Amino acid sequence: MTSTLKTIREKAGNLLAGGLADGVLCLGRDRFNVVQPRLFRKAEEVGSLEIEPKWNLAKLAMQTLRSAEKSFRLTVVCRGCDERALLELVKRNQIDAFRMTILSYTCGREQAEACLCARPYPENSAAGEKIEGVDPFGDPRFASLLAEDDQERMARWTGLLSRCLKCYGCRNACPICVCTPCKLEDDLWVERSAVPAEMIPYHLIRAFHLSDTCVACGACQDACPVGIPLLALQLVMRRSLKEKYGYEAGLEADRKSPLLMDFDHASPAGLTLPAWTVSSEAPHER
Amino acid sequence: MSAEFIRTTCPYCGTGCGLLLKVDQGRLTGSLPDREHPVSRGTLCIKGWSAHEFVASPERLTQPLLKDGDGFHPISWDEAIALAAGRLREAADKFGADAVGGLSSAKCTNEENYLFQRLIRAAFKTNNVDHCARLCHAPTTVAMVQTMGSGAMTNSIADLAGAEFILVIGSNAAESHPVLMGEIYKAIDRGARLVVVDPRRTAVAENAAEHLRIRPGTDIPLLCGMMRHLVDAGLIDETFIRERTEEFQPFLEYLKGWTVEGAAEETGISAEMIRETAERYARAKEAAIVYCMGITQHACGTANVIAICDLAMLCGQVGKEFSGIYPLRGQNNVQGACDMGALPNVYPGYQGVADPAVREKFKKAWGVSGLADRPGLTVTEMISQAGKGIRALYIMAENPMLSDPDVTHVRESLGKLDFLIVQDIFLTETARLAHLVLPGACFAEKTGTFTNTERRFQLLHKAVAPPGEALDDFTILCRMSQALGCPVPYAGPAAAMAEIASLCPAYGGIRHERLEREGLQWPCPHPEHPGTSFLHQGRFTRGLGRFVRPDHTPPREMPDAEYPFYLSTGRMFAHYHTGTMTRRSPFLHREKEAAYAEINPDDAKRLSIRHGEKIRITTRRGSIVTVAVLTTRVVPGTVFAPFHFTEAAANVLTNPVLDPVSKIPEFKVCAARVEKEADDGRL
Repeated sequence: MTSTLKTIREKAGNLLAGGLADGVLCLGRDRFNVVQPRLFRKAEEVGSLEIEPKWNLAKLAMQTLRSAEKSFRLTVVCRGCDERALLELVKRNQIDAFRMTILSYTCGREQAEACLCARPYPENSAAGEKIEGVDPFGDPRFASLLAEDDQERMARWTGLLSRCLKCYGCRNACPICVCTPCKLEDDLWVERSAVPAEMIPYHLIRAFHLSDTCVACGACQDACPVGIPLLALQLVMRRSLKEKYGYEAGLEADRKSPLLMDFDHASPAGLTLPAWTVSSEAPHER
Repeated sequence: MSAEFIRTTCPYCGTGCGLLLKVDQGRLTGSLPDREHPVSRGTLCIKGWSAHEFVASPERLTQPLLKDGDGFHPISWDEAIALAAGRLREAADKFGADAVGGLSSAKCTNEENYLFQRLIRAAFKTNNVDHCARLCHAPTTVAMVQTMGSGAMTNSIADLAGAEFILVIGSNAAESHPVLMGEIYKAIDRGARLVVVDPRRTAVAENAAEHLRIRPGTDIPLLCGMMRHLVDAGLIDETFIRERTEEFQPFLEYLKGWTVEGAAEETGISAEMIRETAERYARAKEAAIVYCMGITQHACGTANVIAICDLAMLCGQVGKEFSGIYPLRGQNNVQGACDMGALPNVYPGYQGVADPAVREKFKKAWGVSGLADRPGLTVTEMISQAGKGIRALYIMAENPMLSDPDVTHVRESLGKLDFLIVQDIFLTETARLAHLVLPGACFAEKTGTFTNTERRFQLLHKAVAPPGEALDDFTILCRMSQALGCPVPYAGPAAAMAEIASLCPAYGGIRHERLEREGLQWPCPHPEHPGTSFLHQGRFTRGLGRFVRPDHTPPREMPDAEYPFYLSTGRMFAHYHTGTMTRRSPFLHREKEAAYAEINPDDAKRLSIRHGEKIRITTRRGSIVTVAVLTTRVVPGTVFAPFHFTEAAANVLTNPVLDPVSKIPEFKVCAARVEKEADDGRL
């Protein structure tokens, strides 16, 4: 057992035993020893808690809190990308931060490279050693998707998006895709029953809707059965927000998205998180 | 607060994706992809993501129903079982064992299929048991057994990603097997070439390097033209042919009857393209052939599959990784229903009913005194014999009123039965015709196994209880067996699997407890065996591969002056087969709410039909009114209608003519007339 796993199990167990969490949402072995998402309610269950493979849980955390009674407090065991997603959900009023503790851990080198992740660690890490991220724009796999030539790039993306089977997996898996009703189910924009889903009304609406909220977790592309590199669309927009406004979704709780800026207040206020949302050690108020 | 994620297997197509059913406080609230699943690896199609939606439908059957006059009224299970057993027994006593028939189900588990055929065979001493594989891959099982000895996909789904050349012929995998299609794209991303043969410009064809737009029903001329060219060009694998196959010389003689130019003439594909495709297939280090209903649903379906097997053997593209032949099985467990002997000529494990030693083995295992030694009737034969030879029919989770050809005739036939029992989860079009309806359980409400298209046994775990008094089909079958005097001497599907393993060498090592993580691909002869990812390595299942002549017969019904269109039927991405589940899933229903048919804009213009207008399609069997979708996906002179929609059932139109060998109907081609229909504002 790695020390990261050991630490996470300990902390999760303590939160449950101490009554500071009513449930821990994490990966765990089921009674057949197979890893899948679990919601643990008792401290003794954490012996089967696991932290591999990469499996984004932020959306499940939101759903769990929604269906639970109001007093229910949830600890979410997750990676850096999920920590960012949870923070965005808090900022968008989808999760009540007062009911949540994030118990997060760093990713290893191999995972960071598989995800082309620039930030394979959480801001408030509970376990694991922080490693340097990967620059996706320096990766040759990426370069071909962002070719300088417009026509070449258009041809490449038209080809990739024509694979789309309209499974809606990108939307369903995305931790931030929470609008009701969803624009992709609006007849004004997206034609029903058309496959492949059209590039502009389906794919670009989806991508732009997430332009300032995408936390680069890659859940969309992990869920794509036909291997469309959906994350590339988002990373370009993330880069641009960072360059133009110094803003990265999922990092600063106290800053709203620059796209929500109004002209009276140049730098609108975000919100303040309770200390225990990001730290299992902080004193919890009930 | 409680939330559980129950690992199970998707109930839709034969890809067999891993699903996690989300259960909140005892209610099913979602379907999620399983990141640890060996086939789907964290992805799903639209149907998989919506798999939970129909489960809690208010239309679910919750009580046994007895027809009384025109309507149904609920009765108790005790009454229902006694009545069902009594009436089946009565038919057998009065008219002989072969007056009873059973249609088993490719939607049900292996264990349930096993019990179903056991019940029919042991209780009535007849082999009148079959299921809808007859309507999809019967030619595959027949042809691949003749040529190679095993009627299943030779390789694994993941193998496709490693192929250098992929020939997809008569399959719209992008809509019908979406997650499997992902493996084909992986291959393309690694540099593989995809060539698609299809009369329609399908979603697969749109993403292919080449789309060979073949004239309907001319697959054999194409394949034989390709083979003839390879022989002439010296591109055949002589070592493979010499060491691994037999009966090549007569086959070579047969090929001499074909020319590339002749093939070009018949298929509408240029001679140059036929040559190029053949050469690329032969020269590729590993080449795969993927096919589906476009090959099998023809009156020469068996010969079509034989031609594919011949081509693979001619080039040595079988018996190794990343190559082989990929018949894509339609239903989630159609492979398993065949494996479990829900077929009129074989016991479980494809052991022939005519073999006395095999019969002896099953007699002993089932504790019965005699078993029928003649093959029984097929689906299509049982239905046409209804009210004649067949007096009582037990249908488990099949819907021939939408799935079989010429449904007007199906309705008439089923109406002639003395007694019809339908066991299903909804009051389907077929169940409405029943005398007695038994409420079964769906995939989310039972344990057991499904076998996917790559021969992989996979587990189902029960997530929720069946609604009302509905029972899982295993329990119903146990009660029926008890009532019919051949009790099942064990409890539960795991014990049934142990019995199956003890009787079928190919599944000898299958145990539920071994299937948790990855499942197991048969053959798996003993409990330590790791399963088999590809077949025919070093030796074909039958020993030597056998070249067989694929004798060509053109479609039985060709367009003429009165019926000038080719009509083809198939599926679309948001719905599944007869729509029993998908049309009751709100998200899928939203995607496509009503029937339609595709017609080329040129034809539409000539007939003054605009997009979205009502049209009438008529064949010699009947007529439907549907909505025109104008698209160049279909060439002029053809119309395409999906068969999911009961209000405009495409199978009212289809031709029930059968392939003489496998008895599959010719769903894919018939002659039709298309007319504009006056719009009365309704549909």
